[in-house]
Amino acid sequence: MSTLSALLKREGLMQALVLVGLALVWEASSRAGWVHPFLLPPLSDVLVRLFTDMQSGAVFVDLGLTLYRALTGFVIAAVLAVPLGILMARKRGVQWFFDPLISIGFPMPKIAFVPIFILWFDIYDTSKVIMITFSCFFPIVTATYSGTSHIDKWPLWSARSLGASESQLLREIILPLAAPSIMTGLQIALPVGMITTIVTEMLMGGSGIGGAMIAAGRFADSVGVFAGIMEIAILGMVVIRALDRLRARLLVWHPENRAH
Amino acid sequence: MAGGDLHPASATAGHGSFVEVVAVCVRYLPLLIMLAAWEMAGRSGLVSQQMLPGVGAIATAFFDLLQSGELVTNAWRSLSRAATGLGLAVISGIAVGLLMATRPLFRTLINPLVRILYPMPKSALIPLVMIWFGLGDASKIFLIFLGCLLPVIVSAYHGARGVNPFVIWSATSLGASQEEVLREIILPAALPDILAGCRTALAFSFILMVSSEFVIAKDGLGFLIGSLGDGGNYPAMFAVILTVAGTGFVADRLFGSFVNHCLRWKEQA
Amino acid sequence: MTADFGIKIEGVSHAYGGGQSGLASGTLALKQTDLLIRHHEFHALLGPSGCGKSTLLYLIGGFIPVQIGSISTQKGPVTAPGPDRSIVFQNFALFPWKTVLENVMYGLQKKGLPEAECREIAQAHIKLVQLGGFEQAYPSQLSGGMQQRAAIARTLAVDPDILLMDEPFGALDAQTRRVMQEELRMIWKKRPKTVVFVTHDVHEAVFLADRISIMSARPGRIEHQIDTGLGPERDESTLTDRRFVELGEQIWRLVREQAVLASRGGL
Repeated sequence: MSTLSALLKREGLMQALVLVGLALVWEASSRAGWVHPFLLPPLSDVLVRLFTDMQSGAVFVDLGLTLYRALTGFVIAAVLAVPLGILMARKRGVQWFFDPLISIGFPMPKIAFVPIFILWFDIYDTSKVIMITFSCFFPIVTATYSGTSHIDKWPLWSARSLGASESQLLREIILPLAAPSIMTGLQIALPVGMITTIVTEMLMGGSGIGGAMIAAGRFADSVGVFAGIMEIAILGMVVIRALDRLRARLLVWHPENRAH
Repeated sequence: MAGGDLHPASATAGHGSFVEVVAVCVRYLPLLIMLAAWEMAGRSGLVSQQMLPGVGAIATAFFDLLQSGELVTNAWRSLSRAATGLGLAVISGIAVGLLMATRPLFRTLINPLVRILYPMPKSALIPLVMIWFGLGDASKIFLIFLGCLLPVIVSAYHGARGVNPFVIWSATSLGASQEEVLREIILPAALPDILAGCRTALAFSFILMVSSEFVIAKDGLGFLIGSLGDGGNYPAMFAVILTVAGTGFVADRLFGSFVNHCLRWKEQA
Repeated sequence: MTADFGIKIEGVSHAYGGGQSGLASGTLALKQTDLLIRHHEFHALLGPSGCGKSTLLYLIGGFIPVQIGSISTQKGPVTAPGPDRSIVFQNFALFPWKTVLENVMYGLQKKGLPEAECREIAQAHIKLVQLGGFEQAYPSQLSGGMQQRAAIARTLAVDPDILLMDEPFGALDAQTRRVMQEELRMIWKKRPKTVVFVTHDVHEAVFLADRISIMSARPGRIEHQIDTGLGPERDESTLTDRRFVELGEQIWRLVREQAVLASRGGL
C-alpha cells in the first residue's frame, strides 16, 4: 500500500500517465466517432502513417531538406551576427550605427518581409535561406552584444596588466566569458530559424516538411497533417536536445555545468 | 534572456529637456542615413526601381492605400483577430498558470500538455487549423490564441512559484483566505513575470497573424501584401509590409511603457 | 478573566521531509519541546542555526501543522495562521507593489473594517514606528530598517494578542539593529503584547527579553530557561549594567556549547 502511495507521489510518473490517458482518449474518441475522424483521425492511423513515411524515406527527405535550409540560414546568420555583436560591444561607433536598426528589428514580425525576399531572389531555396538568415540574425546579435558588453571587467584588467595583446584578449578572455550568452542566443535562434523555414515552405509550397504539410492540408489529408505535426515536434525536440548537449560540451568549464 | 532593448527603454524621453531630444535624434540618426542611402540607391540606378522602390514611391502608395480604405479595412480585420486571440490567451493563460502553481493536481494534469505544446512551433499548426476551422476568422484566432497561450502560462507559473513564501505567510497571518492570497498576493507578485510573458505573446501574435494570413489568404494585412505582390504593385506591397513591421514595433514599445508604469514599485535596478 | 498564560507548548516534536510517517523518516527538527510563555511576556528563543527555533515559531504561528504534541493560546489550540498571532520576518516580507500605507492597511481590510477607519489606524501605527511621512513610499524606496519598521507597523495594526518575530533585525546593519532594538522595547511598553522573539544574538536576547529559552542544537529542545530580571526600563545604559554583562557571559557559555555542536552538524 505504501508503495502505491509512494508511486502516486512521483509526479513525473503521474504526468506520464496523464499523457498515456490522453492518448487513449484520443484513440477512443476518434474510433468511436465522438469526434469526426476527419477532424481528429485515430492516433493509430497517424502512427502508421508516420512509420510508412519513415520506411519510404519520404520523411527523411522532407525533414532533411527543411533542416538543411534552416541550418544554412542559421550558420550564415551566426557568421555575420556574432562578429557584429562583438564589434558593437567593443567599438562605440559600430554600436551607434547598428543599435537603432537592431532594436527596431527585434520586435518586428520579420516574417512579413518574406514577399520582399521572394521579389529579390526567387521562389526556391535562395529566398528561403535569406529569410531564415534574416530572422536568426537578430537574436544572435542581441545576445552576443549583451554577453560581450556585460563581462566582468576584473579578468579583463588582470589579463591586460599581465601584458595580453588586443587580439589575445579577444580570443582568450572575452570570447570565453561571453560564450554562455552567445550560446544562448544561438540556442534561441535555431528554433526560430526552423519555424521560419517551415512557414516559408508553407507559403511557397513544394518540398520540405512545411510544403508537405500544406499540401496535406489542401488535399484534406488530415492524417498527413497530424503526422507532419508529430514529425516537426520530434525534430524540434531532437534539435533542442542536441543544442543542450553541445552547450554542455563547449561550456564544460563554466560554473553552470558544474557536476553535481 | 535579455530582451530586445540594447538601451533601457526610456519611453519618457523628450520630457522637454533639449539635451534629451538631441540624444534621441542622435540615437536614431543611422536610420535616417539608411533611408537616404535607400533613396540614393534607387535614384542613381544602382538598384532597379522595380526591386527596391524609392522612399517617395512607397510613401505615395501608402497614402493611396490609406485613402482608398484598403489599408484600414484590412488592418482592422487583422488586428482585431490578433487582439481577440491575444486577449483570450492572456486571460486564460494567467488563470491556468496561477492554478498550476497553486494546485498540485492541476499541475499534474496540465503540465504534460504544456511540455508537449511549448516547443512546438505554432505556425506548424496552420494546416491543422485550416482543416479544423476552414479559411475564416476562427482558424486564425485559434492559432493566435494557442501560440500566445503558452508563453503566458509558463511565465505565470514561474512567477507564481517564485513568490517569496514569507510574503504569502504574512498575508495569511493577517487574515487572508486561500482565495484572497491567490488574487491579492500571488497575482500582483507574479506580475513582472506575467508581463514579460505577455510581451513575448504580443510578438507571437503579430508573427502568427501575418503567417496565417499569408497561407490562409482571404483578408487582412497578410492577404493584402500577397495580392499586391501578385499584382506587381511593389511600392504598395513595400508600404504595407513596412506598416506591419512598424505596427509590431510600436505595439512592443507601447507595451514596454505600460509595463514600466505597472511595475513602478520595482527597484530601479 | 485573568490571563494566566500566553502560549502553552506541550510535547511538541516536529520532523521535516518524512511525509505521512513524519517522525520515522524525516529530519527531526524539534524533540519533545515544552514551554509555557506568560501573558504579555517578552520571550526570546535563543540558539544556534538549525536548532529549530524558527520551526517552533512557525508552529506557533500556524504556518506548519503540529504533528506531535499541542500548542494553544488563550483562544484555543493553534490550527491555522491568524491575526491573533501575527508575524514579522527577517526579510520584511512587505508587499512590494503596495505603498507603506497600503501594506499596513492590509490586515485591517481583511478584518472588514470600513476604509476610513483602516486608514486612520494604519496612519497611527506608521507614526508609532517613526515612519511618518513615508506613507506613499514603496518598499523598494526604503532602507532595510525602514522596511522593517513598516513590517512591524503592519503587524501591530491588527492588534494581535501575540507578536511573533523571526530574527527581525538579522538583515540590518549593526547600528540600525541597536536602534531598532531600543525602539522595539519602547513600542512594546506602549502596546504590551506577548512576544516570541527568535534570535541567535545573545546580547539582543538579553537586552530585549524578560525570559530566554536557550535551545539545543538539532534536534532542538529547550535546554535552559533564564529570567533576565532586568526590569521593564531598558535603554543604552542597560548595556553597561553589571547584571546585563554578567548575564550575557553566563548565557553565552550555555549557548556556546550548543553552537559548537551545531557547527559540527548537531547531535
